[in-house]
Amino acid sequence: MSDKLNQILQKQANQLHKPENSDEDIVQLVGFIIGDEEYAIPILNIVEIIKPIDFTRVPSVPDYVLGVFNIRGSVVPLIDLRRKFNLTPINNTGDTRYIVMKGEHNTTGFVIDRLTEAIRIKSSRIDPAPDSSGGDKGMVYGIGKREDSMLTILKVESLLRRDF
Amino acid sequence: MDDLQEILEDFLVEAFELIEQLDQDLVELETTPEDLELLNSIFRVAHTIKGSSSFLSFDVLTKLTHHMEDVLNKARKNELKLTENVMDVVLESIDMMKALLYCIRDNGNDTEVSMDLDDIIGRLEAVSAGDDIPEATNEEVVVEDKPVIDEKQVEAEEEDYSSMSDDEVEAEIERLLSEKKEEAKKKKAAKESSAPVAKPKAATPAKPNTPKKKESSTPPAKKQASVLEQTIRVEVSRLDHLMNLIGELVLGKNRLLKIYDDVEERYEGEKFLEELNQVVSAISLVTTDLQIAVMKTRMLPIAKVFNKFPRMVRDLSRELGKGIELKIFGEETELDKSIVEEIGDPLVHIVRNSCDHGVEDIQTRESCGKNPTGLIELKAYNEGNSIVIEITDDGKGLDADLLRIKAIEKGMITEQEADAMGDKEAFALIFKPAFSMAAKVTNVSGRGVGMDVVKTNIEKLNGIIEIDSEVGKGTIIKMKIPLTLAIIQALIVGAQEEYYAIPLASVSETVRISLDEIYTVEGRNVLRLRDEVLSLVRLSDIFGVKQVYEPGEFTYVVVIGLAESKIGLIVDTLVGQEETVIKSMGDYLQGINGIAGATIRGDGGVTLIVDIASLMEMAKGLKVDIRESMQSKNKVKTKPEDYTALIVDDSKMDRTIMRKSMEPIGINMIEASNGQEALTMLKSGEYDIDVMLIDIEMPRMDGYTLASEIRKYSRYKNLPLIAVTSRTSKSDRLRGVESGMTEYITKPYSPEYLENVVRKNTKLTAE
Repeated sequence: MSDKLNQILQKQANQLHKPENSDEDIVQLVGFIIGDEEYAIPILNIVEIIKPIDFTRVPSVPDYVLGVFNIRGSVVPLIDLRRKFNLTPINNTGDTRYIVMKGEHNTTGFVIDRLTEAIRIKSSRIDPAPDSSGGDKGMVYGIGKREDSMLTILKVESLLRRDF
Repeated sequence: MDDLQEILEDFLVEAFELIEQLDQDLVELETTPEDLELLNSIFRVAHTIKGSSSFLSFDVLTKLTHHMEDVLNKARKNELKLTENVMDVVLESIDMMKALLYCIRDNGNDTEVSMDLDDIIGRLEAVSAGDDIPEATNEEVVVEDKPVIDEKQVEAEEEDYSSMSDDEVEAEIERLLSEKKEEAKKKKAAKESSAPVAKPKAATPAKPNTPKKKESSTPPAKKQASVLEQTIRVEVSRLDHLMNLIGELVLGKNRLLKIYDDVEERYEGEKFLEELNQVVSAISLVTTDLQIAVMKTRMLPIAKVFNKFPRMVRDLSRELGKGIELKIFGEETELDKSIVEEIGDPLVHIVRNSCDHGVEDIQTRESCGKNPTGLIELKAYNEGNSIVIEITDDGKGLDADLLRIKAIEKGMITEQEADAMGDKEAFALIFKPAFSMAAKVTNVSGRGVGMDVVKTNIEKLNGIIEIDSEVGKGTIIKMKIPLTLAIIQALIVGAQEEYYAIPLASVSETVRISLDEIYTVEGRNVLRLRDEVLSLVRLSDIFGVKQVYEPGEFTYVVVIGLAESKIGLIVDTLVGQEETVIKSMGDYLQGINGIAGATIRGDGGVTLIVDIASLMEMAKGLKVDIRESMQSKNKVKTKPEDYTALIVDDSKMDRTIMRKSMEPIGINMIEASNGQEALTMLKSGEYDIDVMLIDIEMPRMDGYTLASEIRKYSRYKNLPLIAVTSRTSKSDRLRGVESGMTEYITKPYSPEYLENVVRKNTKLTAE
């Protein structure tokens, strides 16, 4: 009996330690689509992902700031990433989601077209952002290379930074 | 180290509290020099501070307080008479003591300011020695030889109070008290004649001694020193946290009430409703009580601010050579700590102004037949959810005409503006920066800065200032300030489809006006409200809200006031009063123009709270002719192509049939496949629709609902709505009429019939 117990405990202990050892250079991301491209942000910056809810318009702000909404009692700004990336805005579809991200100082919601999946990628497979991406005000952290596609990894801090 | 820090903090808190009391006591003492009770309590303060500072080894402070203690001790024992000159020295030394304490608070030591104490100590010594009774003559010699006296020497003479414990001091005081009581009467008479006034050579301050100077007096304040209340010190941050939590609770309560309303509507007559009602009411009651209770813990009596005024007015009246009496009422009125902190400066400026410009000098007052001593009254009282502070003087008052002339001279207003100004508006001119009525800049005021400070601070608190004045009689300045800042009562208003919360403290009234009452003066829209002229702006113009509704004949105006100015805000709907908790919108949306923050409403939605100060600023730059834009009628339509029909049907085939039937008219046609879509198209304002053909059975929103939705907009009150349906029963027709349909066509129909109905409704008759 106690042998079995020990075995299980051993197993659990192994499980606990394993990820730290073997997954050291693995980055966990969440992928989503805006327009035709797939983007990703680190999973640890995500507070939650919700279906679209009502928001309140805020005056005298750029058009990509849609307004503010209530998430569990705090008032959080909502930013349309389509407009922010200069794409034509579309109406919400059944796949539209708000991703609520938090940075060091603030929390903000972002509208995205649809989610793809949680992604695990080796940090060695991430190339630094090409120089030309400076046009996006340095919003790109790097480019993740996958078997069949490319993934633009966004810099959360610069997404959350007020730029008006 | 931490222990020491803690002791130091305690010391500072205690010292500042003591000093506040001290100022008032001393001024009072001047009018009633024989009040032993007062003397004793003043002596105790000096003693306590001396004791603690020597323990913490603040040598400079110790030295100063020690000498003060000497003087006070003599006064207490009736060995020294407290003349005005003596008081000047004592008060000055207290100012230095304050400066030292501030220095300790800021730097942790009392040497940073490197204050030169020799002078003041010398004077204290001189005063203390000045009219000593005979036995201390030898001390006087010492003083004259070296003004800065060796501490040990002083401590050696008389009883050494510094080495006494508190109990001993009390005992000593008691002893002296009883002693005095017996001797007082006999001694006093003899003393007053014999006791020499402080010697001129005793280095008394060079301030001129105004001959006719009346002693300023305060009404005997309630003495609470003897009644010890049980208190604990709590960090303000803890109370702030508690207040935040209560804020959340209040929002929860609002939400619960809203949900209860919905549930009540839906399950009318159900038994559980009664129970739910009880719970909801109980919770809302307790929450309100809790909120009030926590608010009360943050409340401080306004005496904290008022206390410094007797001293200030006394100093000012001496400096200006005027006789001024200050009366304080309602100093026990309480308000939030954060507000108490903000309100001190504005009050100082107003009282200074009243002393300098308001109250005339003695000669002028006498020649006017007024009491030579001017009277300034400081009043505080509660009014609803606000506190009102009134500063009244019986001085020369404000001359509205003079103010207008002065403002024109300085180019602040034009002559037309001046003519249009009411007296109250003219009084408000004194709040303009760089505006001063003083003929010359004096030490006290006249730079035109003070009243500007008043305005800015009161604006910060969302307060309102009113001035009333009569030439020759005096001036009343009234400040109305909300009791607390964290949880505020707000008026929820609607601008088109958006809602905003306006702090109720800034709302003076709401009125319903018809468009005819709006006048245009120099390109600005104004409203004549009783004897005032208000400039008008639309909330939706300020915030750039999309115009969806056509306004009716009437509109609502919310009159908001901030500091000295007023403005009329046109809104489309008035929703009601609600308790709101200001929440920040995060760093990302900090400092948006016109928005103070957001609150969460009962339905869980977010409503923005208007920042009155910046809203008023934005309103100034806005030039929209409201009347014109409100009355903008549709362009004149002549040709059939100018008309548009909206076909609403879920079946493509039905839509095509309708299209075909209407083709002969030559009208524009657009289509929608359900009620929801049609409503969105209508509201977007993209199309100017003149007639609608509506099917009844449709997904998402049926025809009846669509019609009643459309009729909610006054703009579409007369839009022809033609139901086209296969439902033929009488009750269906009836429902159609109820929901606001204009015509009811049953399928199948002949194309000519439909064509005719549309023609009739658009008044496009066939040639």
